[in-house]
Parts: sequence; structure tokens; C-alpha cells
Amino acid sequence: MSKNFSLMMAGVGGQGLVLLSNIIGTAGAIAGIRVITGEQHGLSQRSGSIQVHLRVGPDVRSPLIPVGSADAILSLEALETLRYIEYLKDGGVAVINKRVMHPVGETGELVNDKTRQYMGLEQVVERVGQVTNHVLTLDALEVARRAGNALTENVALLGAISVLEEFPVPPEPLKGAVARMVPKKAVEVNLKAFRLGAEAARDRFCKELACRGD
Amino acid sequence: MMANEAMVRGALEADVKLFAAYPGSPTSEILDAFAETGRQMDLVAEVSSNEKVALETAAGAAMAGLRSMTSMKSVGMNVACDSYFSLAYTGVKGGMVIAMADDPHAHSSQSEQDGRFFGPAAYVPMLEPSDPQEAKDMVKAAFDLSERHGVQVLVRTVTRVNHQSGIVELGELGRTPFKKVPWPHEPTRFITVADRARAFKAGMLGRTAALEKEFESSPFNRIRKDVVPGGKRFEGTGIVASSAGYNYAVEACRLMGLDLPILKLGTTFPLPRRLIFGFIEGLRRVIVVEELSPYLEQNIRALAKDVNPKLEIAGKGPGLFSEALEYNPNIVATVLGKVLGLPTPVDYAGVLERAKRLKEGLPNRPPTFCPGCPHRGTIHALRKALRGVKHVLATDIGCYSMAPLEPLRYGDTLLSMGASLGVAEGLRRSVEEPVVAMIGDSTFLHAGIPGLVNAVHQRADFKLVLLDNAVTAMTGQQHNPASPHEEDDAAQQRIDLDALVKGLGVADVTVIDPYQIKDTPGQIKEALARPGVGVIISRRDCALYGDRNKRRKGEKIVPNKVDKQVCKRAYTCVRDFHCPSISLDADRQASIDPALCDGCMKCAKLCPLGAIQSTQGSMAGRQEGSKGTGQQGTTGGA
Repeated sequence: MSKNFSLMMAGVGGQGLVLLSNIIGTAGAIAGIRVITGEQHGLSQRSGSIQVHLRVGPDVRSPLIPVGSADAILSLEALETLRYIEYLKDGGVAVINKRVMHPVGETGELVNDKTRQYMGLEQVVERVGQVTNHVLTLDALEVARRAGNALTENVALLGAISVLEEFPVPPEPLKGAVARMVPKKAVEVNLKAFRLGAEAARDRFCKELACRGD
Repeated sequence: MMANEAMVRGALEADVKLFAAYPGSPTSEILDAFAETGRQMDLVAEVSSNEKVALETAAGAAMAGLRSMTSMKSVGMNVACDSYFSLAYTGVKGGMVIAMADDPHAHSSQSEQDGRFFGPAAYVPMLEPSDPQEAKDMVKAAFDLSERHGVQVLVRTVTRVNHQSGIVELGELGRTPFKKVPWPHEPTRFITVADRARAFKAGMLGRTAALEKEFESSPFNRIRKDVVPGGKRFEGTGIVASSAGYNYAVEACRLMGLDLPILKLGTTFPLPRRLIFGFIEGLRRVIVVEELSPYLEQNIRALAKDVNPKLEIAGKGPGLFSEALEYNPNIVATVLGKVLGLPTPVDYAGVLERAKRLKEGLPNRPPTFCPGCPHRGTIHALRKALRGVKHVLATDIGCYSMAPLEPLRYGDTLLSMGASLGVAEGLRRSVEEPVVAMIGDSTFLHAGIPGLVNAVHQRADFKLVLLDNAVTAMTGQQHNPASPHEEDDAAQQRIDLDALVKGLGVADVTVIDPYQIKDTPGQIKEALARPGVGVIISRRDCALYGDRNKRRKGEKIVPNKVDKQVCKRAYTCVRDFHCPSISLDADRQASIDPALCDGCMKCAKLCPLGAIQSTQGSMAGRQEGSKGTGQQGTTGGA
């Protein structure tokens, strides 16, 4: 493995971002790829914004990605893409879950000001579009439900990003890590979510970006 | 493996026999990993009531000759340091390691305190790893070091080291069976006072000199000249770095294509002065990369005075680096560019500027109480009971520390573990308004008891709201002395909080259930009206902990829903409540996300129109029956 790859992951505390990062890290170990991650724990997890820096490659030493240098950003919640947008390099790949979880403070403001609207997916996509042309959205909740469990949203998104040729950890070890890391009774449904996520991504992403073969 | 887990592995490889700690981010996973290991391996692993007790427990074992370890966050060290300083005098017989983690950026702490000064202040050797591999290796080596020099060893990390995951090469476990040892019975061996203290002090100085000599050739210090082979060179310029700063320095050199020599320091007390002399002697300029205080920088400045007085020291002194917040590779690359007159590969300032513009109007998402959190009910009731009454709330450390933040913005003072009670005493003596103190069960047992004893003794007239959610919730729902038993914990006695509070002399104790949100404001109001010290115990399991127990028992978590025909947009379920599972739909009516709702029914009780009901009966609970089936890493040890 001679290429460097930095992935910024963003989401909301409780969405399973740390598990996702552990899955990719374990998959790297299975495949013999050195993955380093910088995670958030503690206070940050209480339904707050959460980020994980995930990095692969010979030149990587810092668990934190330099700003303007992430090859891709993967967000489990749409608004959180914008919160960490400074990390994405110009022309990088943004894989965005269509799900928007409205922060409690924003709901409070809507109640106090009847003219105010929530920030939505369209605004996020438009603004991320000012950094890159590769903005890919996916309704991961829908995919997860089709897989049989709404909570497999994170793994569905992992399946989606795994189709990109640039993504350094191949699908087989990723699936192996999923099987190892999720509770036994949830393995099957998670692997299905991974597969459905990959299928949905192929239809949408591979027209504009290089993808792995099936 | 996360560095926190790697440190546990290092301790296990060193055949550690006893571990004791109180949880605190970013070290909580050390405790979680030991708790897990303690069940499988032959060693003692205790969750102590506070860091001082934990350090003393480890000290007792190490005095007897067993290898022991404790871990604590930066501010926990403040609690433990009374015994820590004295222990440096008496020393230890068995190896003893203190893993102490600072939190640059104050991700989950009250301050950015730089704990490196605990090394020199107490004459205690200090090691600083920068990645998980070093974390494991240094902890392992620290036991041997501690035993040979007869002193506890500090392994100091920062959040970005503790929570860094990477591949770690493991050594042999080599565990031996746990065996109690006879006490050596050497009078005054572990007594430090007056002439004993003076005698110990002389020994400490000799010990420190011996340690410095050993550190001169420690493998944890090294000069790297291969960071960017063939890169741009600047004769006479070098970098000194440690801890997370080293990672950023290496990567910044790579980003800039710079082949600069880097002195990486892993033993930061006592500093290997001869090694540093050798490195800076021939340099014209040294760039010091360390987060927080200029600890290395000031030492290098002092050393340079002897060997190289003209040395230019680029660090915090000239304002190149900040003493605040954590660094990252682009911050270090920017400084390198400034010092050497080179452009950075990316216009970092431009990227940040554009990001600021793109984020305009983006709503904040600070951490907040979980759906089903009992604190949301208690705080709502407390505010309602005191509506129209100006008052002062002295709050404390725990999940409820979020109350003063957006969106609730409720609470006036927040200092340190247990401080709410002492501060409330000072306030009630000084302010015109009534005073309320608020503390959680674990924090009360940690450092709140002396404050309550004082309040009773002083015949204070403030009220304490004691939030009893059964566990130490914030750090990952670890057990505390008042937690319910689990099957395998039958050896422990559960502390009865009500009896404890009464035993301290509080006659007026009211117990409320924060889920009974209709009744609680009245109960609180009555309690507040009574004279003298009173304690209102608000009792309900932490929602994360409670849900986990429910899942274990196979019980379903049934979410609520809003009846759109009934909802008249009163927003009682939003204002002063702010549950993450409630937002507005396209008709601006309240809507409940069934994937987030805990089914606690507090909002249903609040709604004046009864528009919120349980989905019980109308659907078979949540999809797949239970919340978080494997998809949510726990705060603690995912």
C-alpha cells in the first residue's frame, strides 16, 4: 500500500460512528493495512456532533487530518458534513447520508420564530458543491430498513463508500470486520445492509467516479 | 487497538497485580478494559470512589511489593496529588504506574491543565508516548523503571494519544498467579514526616540524577533524520517534539517536503540534558513542537544558555505557537512555513475562511441529554418549581454539567468534582437569592460528602438536588459505590445514599422520581420552602444504562408518537425540555423520531392536550425490537 488516504467521518453521537471506525480499523488489520484513527469519546457523544479522523498510508503519522486534505468525507447525518467541511480537499469525495437530525437548539428557535426554517439537505449539498463536484447522497435509512434493521444505517454507508476504487480497504475484509464487530444476532442483517448500500452506491456513484469491480 | 487499551496490555505484559481508578475522559477506557480483564485474569481491578483513593489503593499494593497501576484524567490528578507528592518521598517497592491524561482543547474537561509539571514538582519520572505502540511499550517499561528506582512512574498522555487507534505489536503476556505477600515490617519505611521527610528528600535528588543518566540512553528518546529522505534541508535547523506534537511535527515535515532532524523526547522528566545538549549544540535554530505550556521550550532555553546562547528558539516564546488548544499537522506546517519562508502545500487559512462562510447559519449541535434522560425531567421540574423566583444554581461535574450549555442555559457555577456544595455555602452566606446546589450520585460520593458535612455543621439553609441515576453515566455508565449489584459483583457492599445523607445529619430528605414530571415541581417547591439544609434525591436510572438492562432482559423499548389531530402546536414538549427525539414536521407540529425515542413518557405527561401517546399496541415497538442493537458504540469501550 503506497498511497495515502484520509477519510473524515462525521455524525451525531449515538449513530454508531465509533463502531464504524472500529470496523474499518479491524478490516485494515485483517488486510494488513495500517489504519490509524482519532476518535472522540466522553462528553461528545451525548447526541452532540461527533467526528472521527481515519487515515491510511506511509506518510501518515498524525491521527488528525490536516485541513483541506481529506480525500473523502463520509457523513452519517447531512448537516454534520458542513460542520467539518474545512477538512475536505478541493475535488474530494463527499458521501452524505440524506438523513437530517435537527439539533434541539434549532427546534427551539423554530418554536420561537415562526418564519424560521430548518437547514435542510439541499442547502448542505449546494454548499458542499462549492468545494467539490463529487457530492454523493444516499438515503441510508431507507437502505437499512430494506436490509431489515433501521440501525444498520452506518454499515449501509460503509458499503456505499466501499465501492469507490480510491477507498483503501477492500470489501472482503470490511465484511469480515462487520461480522466480527457487530452482535452475533445482527451479523446477517448488517452484511445485507453492506451489500444493499454498495448496490445503491454503484447505481449512483460509479457514473462519475472510478469504482471497484464487482 | 486504542492507546488506552494498549496501556492496559502493557501493564498486563508487565504482570500487573492490582489496578484501581475512577473513570474520567480521556482515560475511562483504561478502566473499562481492566474491568473486562479483571473478570478473565488473575488480578484485582477496582473502581474506586475517587482518584485519591485509587492512587492510595495502588500505593498500598506497591508498598507491599506488588505491581500496581492507576489511571486518571488531568483534573483527577489534582484530587490524587496530596498522596502523590508524599508517595514520591516514601517511594514504592513494587512497580507502580500512574497513567495521567491531559485534555488539550478541553474536549471533556474543565480546563486545559498541563500535567507535565507534576513530574518535576514531585521528582517523579515521566514518560510521554505519542502513539498506541509507544503507549504499550512505555507502560511496560515503566513498571521495571519504577521497581528499580523505587518510585512511582507517571505516563502522561493527551486526548489525541489516548483516543488514537492503530496497530500494536504485542509482547508475551507472561502472567503469574496472584499471590498475597507478607508485609516487610520495616518501621518508618513508608512514614514521611519531619526528619524522615528530610532524609527522603536527599534520596529523591540522588534518584533523579540516576534516572537522568539512565534516560540519556533510553530508547524512548531518539534523533530522527529520516523523516523525509531527500527532502529540502535547512542546515542548522532542527525540531524538538514530544507526545502528540511529535506526530504533527513528522507529518508537517512530510507535507512541506522538509528533511529536518527531529529530537523526539519520550522521557520528559528528568530530561536527558546531555542528549539535548548534543542536539542543540550545532544548531542555529530549533523549533519546539509541544502543546499547552512551553515546558520543553523553557528547559531548552535554559540549557541553551550554557552550550549555545545564540540558539534561536522558535516556539511559543515568539508567539509562533499558541499555548491554547490542541495542534494538528496544518498548524505545525504553517509555523514551519513561517520560520523557513516557505509556502504550505494548501492555503490553510483560505480553506478555513471558506469553511466559515459555508457554515453560516449551520445550527450548533452541542452534546445534550439523551432521550429518556432523567436529568431532563429533574431540571425541568426544578425550573418550574422556581419559576418567578430569582435563584442561584451551583452545579457540578457530570452529564448535568451540560445544563448550563445551549439550549437549556441553566446553572450559575461549575468548578470541579464536589465543588457545588462548598460554593453553595459561600453563596448562601453572600447572595440575596436562595441557593440550590446540584450534584450526581457518583460525584457526591467522590468529593461531595465533606461539603455536605460542612453545610450541615454550618446550619446552612440551601438545598441540594442529588441526581441518583445509579451509575457514573458521563464516562460510560461505570459502577460507583451506590450502584445496584450485578451478579458477579456480590462481593461489594452497595452504599445506601438515603441512609448516608441522613447519617451526615440531614433531617430533611425528599425522594422524587424525575419521570413523574407532573408531581415533581410541587414536591420540589415544598422541599425548597422548608428551612435548613435539605436534600432532594431525584432517583431514576440513567437512560443508556436502563435501556441496556432492558435489552438484556429482552424488554422492548416502545417509542411515543404525536397525534396530529390533537397537537395544537403548544410546544410544551419543546420549550425548556429539548429532547433530541422531538423536532417539528412540515406542518410545524411536534414529531417524534421512533428511532431515538426512549418511551420515557415525560413529554406525554407535559403535553396539555394529551397529544403524545405511547405506540404500545399500535405497533410492535421499534424495528428489531430494541434500541441500539449493536450499532451504537458505548461511550466507554467501543
